[in-house]
Amino acid sequence: MTLRYVGKGVRRVDGADKVTGQAMFVSDITVPRMLHARVVRAGVPHARIISLDTTEAEGMPGVRKVVTGQGCGILFGTCLWDQPPIAVDRVRHAGEPVAVVLAMTEHQADQAARKVKVEYDPLPFQLDPVEAARPGAPLIHERNGSYRRVEYIVRSEAGTNIFHHYKLRKGDAAAGFAAADVILEEHFEFPLSSHCSLEPHGAICRFTQGGDIDMWASNQAPFVVRDVLADMFKIPVTRIRVRVPYLGGGFGGKSDVSIEPLVAYAASQVPGWAVKLVLTRKEAITSSLIGRGMMGRMKIGARKDGAFVALEAEMYFADGAYGDTSWPVVTVAGHNCTGPYEFPSCKVDSYGVYTNSPPVGAFRGYGHPEGQFMLGRMIDLLARKLGIPQGDLMRRNFLCEGRRNGLGQEIKRSHGDLFACLDKVEAAMAGTPLPPEDDRYLYGRGMAAMAKSPKMAANAASTAYLQISNDGSVFVNLAGIEMGQGCQTAFTQIAAEALKVPIERIRMYREVDTQFTPWEWQTVASMQTYRGGRAILQACEKAVELLRLNASLVFDCPVDEVEYDGDACFRKGMPANRLPVASLARGYMFGNGLTVGQPVQATGTYRVNGITEPDPETGMGNAAGSWTFGVQAADVRIEKATGRIDVLHFASCFDPGRVLNPVTIRGQVAGGVVQGLGAALMEKLEFGPDGVIRNANFGPYRIPTIDDMPGKLTIEFVETPNPEGPWSAKPIGEHPIVAVAPTILNAIGNATGTEFTRMPVRAADVLDALRRKEGV
Amino acid sequence: MATISLKVNGTPCTVELEHDRVRLSEILRGQLGLTGAKIGCGVGKCGSCTVLVNGEPVTSCTLLARKADAAEVLTIEGLADGAVLHPIQEAFLDAGAVQCGFCTPGLIIRTYSLLRNNPGADDAQIVEMLRHHLCRCTGYLAILEAVKLSRERMAQG
Ligand code: FES
Ligand code: FES
Repeated sequence: MTLRYVGKGVRRVDGADKVTGQAMFVSDITVPRMLHARVVRAGVPHARIISLDTTEAEGMPGVRKVVTGQGCGILFGTCLWDQPPIAVDRVRHAGEPVAVVLAMTEHQADQAARKVKVEYDPLPFQLDPVEAARPGAPLIHERNGSYRRVEYIVRSEAGTNIFHHYKLRKGDAAAGFAAADVILEEHFEFPLSSHCSLEPHGAICRFTQGGDIDMWASNQAPFVVRDVLADMFKIPVTRIRVRVPYLGGGFGGKSDVSIEPLVAYAASQVPGWAVKLVLTRKEAITSSLIGRGMMGRMKIGARKDGAFVALEAEMYFADGAYGDTSWPVVTVAGHNCTGPYEFPSCKVDSYGVYTNSPPVGAFRGYGHPEGQFMLGRMIDLLARKLGIPQGDLMRRNFLCEGRRNGLGQEIKRSHGDLFACLDKVEAAMAGTPLPPEDDRYLYGRGMAAMAKSPKMAANAASTAYLQISNDGSVFVNLAGIEMGQGCQTAFTQIAAEALKVPIERIRMYREVDTQFTPWEWQTVASMQTYRGGRAILQACEKAVELLRLNASLVFDCPVDEVEYDGDACFRKGMPANRLPVASLARGYMFGNGLTVGQPVQATGTYRVNGITEPDPETGMGNAAGSWTFGVQAADVRIEKATGRIDVLHFASCFDPGRVLNPVTIRGQVAGGVVQGLGAALMEKLEFGPDGVIRNANFGPYRIPTIDDMPGKLTIEFVETPNPEGPWSAKPIGEHPIVAVAPTILNAIGNATGTEFTRMPVRAADVLDALRRKEGV
Repeated sequence: MATISLKVNGTPCTVELEHDRVRLSEILRGQLGLTGAKIGCGVGKCGSCTVLVNGEPVTSCTLLARKADAAEVLTIEGLADGAVLHPIQEAFLDAGAVQCGFCTPGLIIRTYSLLRNNPGADDAQIVEMLRHHLCRCTGYLAILEAVKLSRERMAQG
């Protein structure tokens, strides 16, 4: 069967709204009786609050209320309840909210916020996760270990700052290393960074005087927000409505919950009024979620022929003041630090550690970039130590049919073809030979492979609702958040293909609204096309069944004699007598008004079944539901006089099963690669000696600009058929970032002979290294 | 309270300034309901809030509103001709240059300003122009292509 829409670069369904400035984001929304919030932030990384005086602020013009944490007994969370919506008597990071001024205008809120007086008694602060994890380190949460939590999955160590410890024990690693011919060990650092979605976080919330909560949020997980608010305020979820308009980028920084509990708590103090908070860029960096922050060690044992025998890794995550959004990142970083390779034995310990930074949350790749940064660098080093070409070493150990990953899951051919990805990347690089060193420049080439599986709640599912109208047009409603990745376009393509109708007839509901949109876990882990798409397919199948059923009542024949071709239903062998879809959409009405059949509406759901949480002792189990594999390579040019690093060519090849839309997938890869270059070459949250983030705005916090684009981007795909996603399409949104850092650092190593193990690597670092080399 | 008068997308309007540090972006977004210009940083570093003031691209988050008194302002809302998109808007769609769309209005406005003043802008001038804008989604690849496509289409008229 030829496909009309799957695999085609159809235009984005959200495009016209976005090029005309009509797409609505939370910051664009104004509702009646709305107060503007300005938050007073701690400004110190760790302290007790001695006094908090809001009297003067309350007397300022336009001020309705100044909300503080006094008397707030709420701790919120989804699996680990360790965070108050607003500081009560202690602050644990400098961006923590201490008071919220609610006023008629932003300016009035701003002015009054300056008049809030807070006195602190400073406590020692910690930013280094290895130090903070040591026994005897000052505690950031005395109650660690006794907070309410889901104990099977969140493994807190009482009396320490370790709120989560994931361990993986596969086979006998000690025996594995004993049998190794070569052992390599290195330390690594992946700094804290900011997601920098261009839209800063925002939320509007009203507690109605009737006791309902009404919220608009820039959030990837409106149903999680709803559940958290229900738990915070002890009201049924059905009385909470969360709406998400367009989202100006997410990258994980708007998943789970971030500012919503604060805004809701403030709103709870002024029933009847809506409260609007839109973060400044500075606040988005200091006071929402941040990402990464890993210090680690990795050790690999291999035989002379290149076969891997054992892997040992330790990762300490500087997860900031609260742990609920980061513990699963810690887990997945641990279980997927083995990447796309088979290791017969593994011993991995991954720790989530409380520190005095903003809390860490999901960030594109979700633990995979951290663990596989180490792995990707190690394999480059190991190849040289063994004297085996890196590509050969990779091929020798790639996951493939019959091999087992770190979790012990058996890989099948349908999971993807790393060999084909590597072939394509090597061919692309062969097409642009690396120039030899010249007077001005050094050149280097690097490569790394990746694997990612989604980390999700074991019951994570998508639900679609579909309705066919009396003109044959089709509404589809599914809570996949459109944050730029193009899921609404993919959904539209899938529905049009499945129903065999022109794509213009399909209309996705624009705004996600927990009151009208069927339940969806959340838009994370690159799962919308894959999981949401399957839900839509099921709804389409049911809708076609209903059309056929309605037609069978008209034809007065068994349903299985009715055929459907996208335009109409007809009886087998009698194609001339057609009942158009439009005539069947609300049941079929005869000339005299007699109506048979039923309105055509259907739901569909999809869950990746059989997922379990990893076993608490071994860390193994069926925790990953799907994999996407890929290989990346880069050529870099280093200017000897300045250390300046230019990426001449960056090649990627992924196996997403099926390219559903070549335009949007190319955008995901190009965007992910350039974001990865930011991490490798420029981005790091810098803390001053006072424990406060120093580079909290664009400019000082540098992200890639057009000047940082690689000179050439090769973007290729391998499409391995599989029974998983719609027409085989699997997750691909996050994947392009996972192996960028090791690829680039491998290339820099190749060019300079200096093996960097910390990021970012900036021109100054390279220049230093070159000077040191000259000095020898 | 001070007032200013300006012409926005061809329509004259007079607005009151709450205080003397009000930025043009606040007037456009807050008082005139023109929310197309986005606030990504508020400090002139990302370009999302770019509008044309007397024909020149400016970051409306940094321009004091009182400095825009008597000015002519063009925002993204004023670019399309009713329901007919401007060729640049079409080019951004065709090139796949739009993802989350938060950076898009500013980019389109600056592209318009460049190509109107310099229809034959060369690639280096295009890159120079794009330096003023941050996009976290696209990696700039498709944006660059969209601007080049706009140049071609506008040249063809
Ligand atoms: S919002 Fe004006 S430049 Fe960023
Ligand atoms: S499309 Fe999202 S910031 Fe450019």
